[in-house]
This record gives sequence, structure tokens and C-alpha cells, in this order.
Amino acid sequence: MEREDKLILAIPKGRIYEELAPLMDKCGITPEKDFFDSNSRKLRFTSNHDNLDIIRVRAFDVATFVAHGAAQLGVVGSDAIEEFDYDELYSPLDLGIGKCRLCVAEHKDEAAKDNPQRWSHIRIVTKYPNLTKRHFAARGVQAECIKLNGAMEIAPALGLARRIVDLVSTGSTMKANDLVEIETILDVSSRLVVNRSALKTSPEAVNNWIDKFRAAV
Amino acid sequence: MTKHETHLALLPSGFVDLLPPEAAQEAEAIAVLMREFASFGYERIKPPMVEFEDSLLAPGPGAALAGETFRVMDPVTHRMMGIRSDITPQTARIASSRLAGEPRPLRLAYANDVLRTKASQQRTERQFCQVGCELIGAGGAAAEIESCVLALIGLDALGLKSVTIDLCLPQLVENIFDAFDVSDSDREELRGAIERREQDGVERIKGPAAKLLAKIMTASGGAEKILETLGDVPAEAKEDIQKLEAVYTGLNKAAQELGLDVSVSIDPLESRGFEYHSSIGFTLFAKGVRGELGRGGRYDVRFGEQQSGETATGFTLYMDTIRRYLPEAPKKDVVNVALDESWKTIREKQKEGQIVVRDTKSKGS
Repeated sequence: MEREDKLILAIPKGRIYEELAPLMDKCGITPEKDFFDSNSRKLRFTSNHDNLDIIRVRAFDVATFVAHGAAQLGVVGSDAIEEFDYDELYSPLDLGIGKCRLCVAEHKDEAAKDNPQRWSHIRIVTKYPNLTKRHFAARGVQAECIKLNGAMEIAPALGLARRIVDLVSTGSTMKANDLVEIETILDVSSRLVVNRSALKTSPEAVNNWIDKFRAAV
Repeated sequence: MTKHETHLALLPSGFVDLLPPEAAQEAEAIAVLMREFASFGYERIKPPMVEFEDSLLAPGPGAALAGETFRVMDPVTHRMMGIRSDITPQTARIASSRLAGEPRPLRLAYANDVLRTKASQQRTERQFCQVGCELIGAGGAAAEIESCVLALIGLDALGLKSVTIDLCLPQLVENIFDAFDVSDSDREELRGAIERREQDGVERIKGPAAKLLAKIMTASGGAEKILETLGDVPAEAKEDIQKLEAVYTGLNKAAQELGLDVSVSIDPLESRGFEYHSSIGFTLFAKGVRGELGRGGRYDVRFGEQQSGETATGFTLYMDTIRRYLPEAPKKDVVNVALDESWKTIREKQKEGQIVVRDTKSKGS
């Protein structure tokens, strides 16, 4: 059983952490040594604060952990927040890190003759089926989504679908695969998220961290 | 295994079998709540599971629930019927029709299952039991306080610890929009940002309304601090805020007098799920509990064509959530007796609080 006043901060594995580390530093959060040991099998780490532990999970899973109250605080991209659209997730702060954009792209030959205004049904390969469906439904287009977890860019060339919805930061992967962006769905950056019930039942502790992160941004 | 084989015991998603001991625990919890509510003069009603869609979803509290309501065709009248997804609209109907002639205020209690077409993130059940009270025809903060205190007494009687009651003003955001004449597109953006408590999303919008909302949203440091920031709200909302202060004070007083393990918080911007509420709403949480234990507030008992009706306050507790956090029931003594044990002895043992099980494998008369 957890200590009643223990808070858990969920942070994403991977490259976002490099940008997040200085922010955590400014907030005065120092993870235990094992956290920096790439050989450690641990998933949960203590910090220099008795009542704050850190878990490192996949970026998408941060939203899920926090929405279900398994972690009370988290750092996650607005792409994942929008994809899941969890009721129980508050996202008070834009941390200004992990910036990229979510785009619709297609093969450059296709783009030359395509007219998006005429679409009624499109087939899209994406990691974001919910967000994509909602986006296109709002303008009267039915999006049939095929979910992939990576290597979206190769799908059009292999005929899986003519269009993809994927994250773009520099655009070089798109270019290398002869894809062109035809629309931006969402400008993405990482946000501080908190669990709704946790904010209601431990307002001082949770607000304290929100304030610290706000000051650090 | 063939591709589509499913086990015959599979239930549709959102439906569960409650087994021992949970089923008895839930029933016992409901009985405890009903006793507490009855001791404050709340009388139980039992509306039907099914009504004609026209009455169940009539303008008033029921109108907001159309999307959550299962429908079936009545094979007798060929009219569309709805299976209730919430009890409050039914009590509103009863209060404004069959009990319209009863003296006010009217105090009603209920404990019934409801059915919902969709599960939500915090509630995966599509059938669950709502236990609640409605105080109809009483205005003023005293009525809100009674509803809140009753809910807290109920949760305390069930042994739930570290409860938070979060007070909100369901109409505040819309009042601010109207007072500052905010454009439709800004309203839409602000609503979304407020729902997710996105500070930058609110600050992105220009104008005095967004500025005020941002100030309220970022106010931290306890309920008193939040009440202070509400000093700047437009005149339309002033009355609600005075009431909020009165309820806040009244609740703290009650919690102290009753020695309840409760904290009272204020989130003026909460409005999700309070579609038919006005003035003051409240949500019940507890530390370590996933999701809400219950919610309530003030609403207008409109029914059907009535343009406006009586005012009422009430609350509903969600037994599916509460059930999971009930303290374990004390074990009762179980004694086995032979089949030839006299019925008189059996009854005497039972009166002493023992559970007497007749051993059907033993030899007896």
C-alpha cells in the first residue's frame, strides 16, 4: 500500500528526457543514482524528496498512468493527450519542450494531383487513430485508420494507405521517403499533466509541483 | 479454438456479476445509507426502470441524458421507451406530478440501479447503483448544506476515510462569458482549455474574461484564497458566490461538530457533468480512490413543458465506486449443526449473532 501523501511523477523514456532534465533540475528534483544507470532494470525510482517517486514509461503510457491515478503527475506530449482525450487528465502547463507537429502527409506525386476538398473517405496509416478520426470527422470526412506503431513513412510506398498522419520535427524522414506534408493537425509540445482526483484530494502537494514547474519553464 | 468462440459466461462489457461477499456488502452499505437518510426525514421512492422516452428525457434534468440512455420499443403501444440512466429526472417527474400536492419541502431518497449506453474512463460499469437524496422546494444555502452534510454523514457511516468535498459553481464560466460578451469562438476555446485546466490555453485568449478566468484558475493556496479571487466576478454571479461562502463555512462547521475526516475544497470552474445544475454543485472524492464517490448540487425541477419549476438540491452516491473502497466487514461466527438440531436452538444461536448452517450431509430426522 502506498503512503497516503506519496506522489508519483511519470516521465517519458527516450529523447524528451534530455530536454526535461534541466527543468527537473530547476524544480529541485534529483532522481536516485539507479535512474541514470542504463543497465538498471528498475522502473520506479526514488528522488531527493521523500514524498515524490519517479517512474519512467513509454511516452504514450504517461498519459494512461496519470489519467488512471497510478501516477499523480506526468510529462507527456500534447499528441498523446489529444489521442486519448482522457476525462481525468488535467494538463495545466506547456513545458515548451519536445516541440514538433502532427501532420498529414502523402507521396509527392499523389500530392500534385490530390484535392483534399473532395475527400469523403480516406485511408490513413497512423499511430493516432482517435485524433485522426476526430479531426477529419469535424470536417465531414470519414477517416479509416490503420494503426502502426512506427515506420509510418514507408507505408504509402508499399501501398498500405496513400496517406499518413505522423509527427514531424525536421521533416527529413518525410523527405527521404518522398512524402510531402499537406496539412498540420496539431502543434505538439510536452505538457505537465496531473490526475484530477489527486489535484482535488491533495491540492497543496500537487499545486506545489505545478507552481515549481511553472517557475522553471 | 475456433476464431469467434466465446465462453457462454461472457457478459457484455460494463456488466458484472456481484458474488459473495461483495453483493452482501453492497446491500448492507445501501441499508446503512438509507437508515441515515431516513433519520433526517428522507422518504424512499422506487421509480420504474423504464419510462416512455418522452417523459424520461423531457426538458429538465433528463434532457442532458439522451445520449446515455438505452431505448427499447414497447411492443404493446409501439412507443419508444427509455431505460433510466439517472434517477434524478425521475424524482423530478414524481415531485412535479404525483407528489405536486404534498407540502414542501419534500425529502425523497432512492437506491436503484441505472443503465448507461456508454462507459466512461472513470466508470467502466454500464450498470450501477445510485443512492441519493433530493430536497425539493427549499432554497438558500441551508438546503445545499443539508445535502452536502447528508452525503458526508453517509460516507462516514460506511467507513470511508479522507473524504474531499469539492464545491463548484457550474454556471460561473457561462456567467463570465455573458457579462463580458465573449465571442462564440473564444467561448469554445476557453471551455476546452478550462476543462483541461490549461493555463496557457486560457491566457492565449485576449480580453478581460480570459484574464479573470486565468486568475481564478491559477489561484492556489486553499479555499479562502480562491474565494478572495472571486471578489472580481460580474454582478450576475455575486449571489452564487455569497452562497458558496455560506456553504463553505457551514460545511466546515458541520465537519467540526461531527468530527468528520473531511476537507472542503473549492474549484469554481468545474462544470463538467453539471449540465442541469445551477448555483452550487459538489463532487465527492477520497484519497487513494480512483474516480468520484458521488456528486450533487442545485437544480431546477422542471418537467416537460413547464418553463420553470421548483428549486431543489440533491446528491447521488455511486455504489460501484464506493463498493471497492468499503472496509472489510467483520467476520461473523459460523456454526454447523446437525440436521436433527431443534429449530428453537437454531433460532436462539442466531439471536446471539451466530450464523447457523444446517449440515445437510449429516443424519437427521
